[in-house]
Amino acid sequence: MTGNMEAKLAGLRDHARDIRRNALRALHAAGSGHVGGSLSAADLLAALYFHHLRLRPHEPDWAGRDRFVLSKGHANAALAAVLAQAGFFSEDALDTFYGYESSLGMHPDIKVPGVEMSTGGLGHGLSVGIGMALGARLQGLDFRTIVMVGDGELQEGSNWEAAMSATHLGLAGLTAIVDYNKIQQSGNVGEMLDLEPLADKWRAFGWAVREIDGHDMAEVVDALDALPYDTRRPSVIVAHTVKGKGLSFAEGTYLWHSNMVTDEIYAKAMAELGESA
Amino acid sequence: MSTSNPGSTAPAWVSAAANQSRLAFGLAVTELAGRDASVVAIGADTLDLLGLRKMMERHPERVIDVGIAEQNAMGVASGLATTGMRPFVCGYAPFITARSMEQLRNDVAYARQRVVIGAAASGISLGVSGATHHALEDLAVTRSMPGMTVVVPADAHQAWHATLATDDVDGPVYIRLGGRVEEAVATPVEGPIRIGRADRLHDGNDVTVIACGVLVAPALEAARSLGKDGIGVRVLNMHTIKPLDREAVLAAAAETRGIVTAEEHYVTGGLGGAVAELLAVEHPTRMRMVAMPDENSVVGPTPKVRARYGMSAESIVAACRALVGG
Ligand SMILES: Cc1ncc(C[n+]2csc(CCOP(=O)(O)OP(=O)(O)O)c2C)c(N)n1
Repeated sequence: MTGNMEAKLAGLRDHARDIRRNALRALHAAGSGHVGGSLSAADLLAALYFHHLRLRPHEPDWAGRDRFVLSKGHANAALAAVLAQAGFFSEDALDTFYGYESSLGMHPDIKVPGVEMSTGGLGHGLSVGIGMALGARLQGLDFRTIVMVGDGELQEGSNWEAAMSATHLGLAGLTAIVDYNKIQQSGNVGEMLDLEPLADKWRAFGWAVREIDGHDMAEVVDALDALPYDTRRPSVIVAHTVKGKGLSFAEGTYLWHSNMVTDEIYAKAMAELGESA
Repeated sequence: MSTSNPGSTAPAWVSAAANQSRLAFGLAVTELAGRDASVVAIGADTLDLLGLRKMMERHPERVIDVGIAEQNAMGVASGLATTGMRPFVCGYAPFITARSMEQLRNDVAYARQRVVIGAAASGISLGVSGATHHALEDLAVTRSMPGMTVVVPADAHQAWHATLATDDVDGPVYIRLGGRVEEAVATPVEGPIRIGRADRLHDGNDVTVIACGVLVAPALEAARSLGKDGIGVRVLNMHTIKPLDREAVLAAAAETRGIVTAEEHYVTGGLGGAVAELLAVEHPTRMRMVAMPDENSVVGPTPKVRARYGMSAESIVAACRALVGG
């Protein structure tokens, strides 16, 4: 690997750490919230916003921008963090998370600069992403659409209607990323309603599939750079992740799907995550 | 009102429910499961939200969480009911009504299956979750379906009794429950509840407040405050929205000078609508509706969001004054 690439990856890892710190900052201001699914997505979000997506944070409505939809909307703390870091709004806004009349609530709101769709009810984003990708094709625009879904979220049947539709429509401009952290709200996905064999399911639905370690920045960047995996079909990245990644006490347990973020927890989290560069 | 002291005499479910109707529902389903081997709980990644862990310990084979798949949950419940089982679907109010509405309408209501739906996190009980998670149309949706029974317990006590009372309902029942917040106590620990019969909680002959759910306690507060100014307020806890207690509504219309309805639901299609539909035809009466206006709700702590939209004792007082001209 070249020195340039090494430096690039190191920079993205710094961004990922800052997303984790800022997500916790927001959730601490809120007093509680979705720690687990925000942290599992942090590395993917860092690579998307600081490497892959073509965006103009100071012109959030630019028609040519790539579209990113966080279908697992409850991870809004991480989305708000990365949008703030990317310059869509001030990081100070994170301190209003869950606040009265705040535009930063538990779930993304389309009125926030950089947020492409209000989400929160699970199983909506992939269909919306199809609409965006179709809109690009019909208007001759070259923007790309990426939708991040949760693994528990994939239990909603609507995703599989969308999965069939995207292939049928031949939407190479659409990519799904599964934050496959193996845990949902009440327990392990494998015990509640198993998705396996997940990659084979996507293949059977006609998608071009790549499986990666969603915390290995080199793999994440490589998977994004290689998009689309096929010029006539949608692509999906099945990213194996750890729920609560980065906090020893939160990793791998449904108890941290959502939980209280007290002063004490926050201090502990900041110590574990390490200082910003 | 109850004069019993819950601290010394209350049954175990009272403290376990911690004044949260969603937990009282789960405890009552667990209780029913102990008495009746046909009782099954169907979750949709909602084991903690509806307090089903105890039932999982006692009757693991009769707690089936189908995952985050409300449509499937509702259809499965219907099928189970056709075989003689008694399913209790445990969901989030916003999703278990909107997402699986067609399954509810066709497979449960139209097919007349005996399915009970426990719908937690109704209204704006999850204030900080924002509008996608506020259920402010669920009463309009459920009460528009022929054959449905729609119950809005005033507090955790009533949620327990309402859930047990489904023993006697031969058809689908929707029970609207709160979120992860304590609810004010408005009814006695010992109940009872008669589904379809309103409870008169306060007497007065100037004006009537017909309230349900979390607006019952504020209605009582309003009645006490107006009483100090010599305005007599009758308060009805209309815990059953459907079938509506016509007698109680018509008596209030005849015996008092106006009716205020109070609910945590859009003004479109909820309790106020049900009362108005009856009175417009049978006994036109001056009314005011304390309810969520036709707007998307903001994010924020539940009490603040409620107050912003006027779902409060103060609004009930103002509405009553407007009707009696005081
Ligand atoms: C339609 C719908 N049903 C239920 C919920 C409640 N809910 C919010 S998050 C969640 C679990 C999501 O699990 P997963 O998709 O695996 O997310 P992650 O682990 O990435 O946080 C549930 C059930 C919801 N938001 N929408």
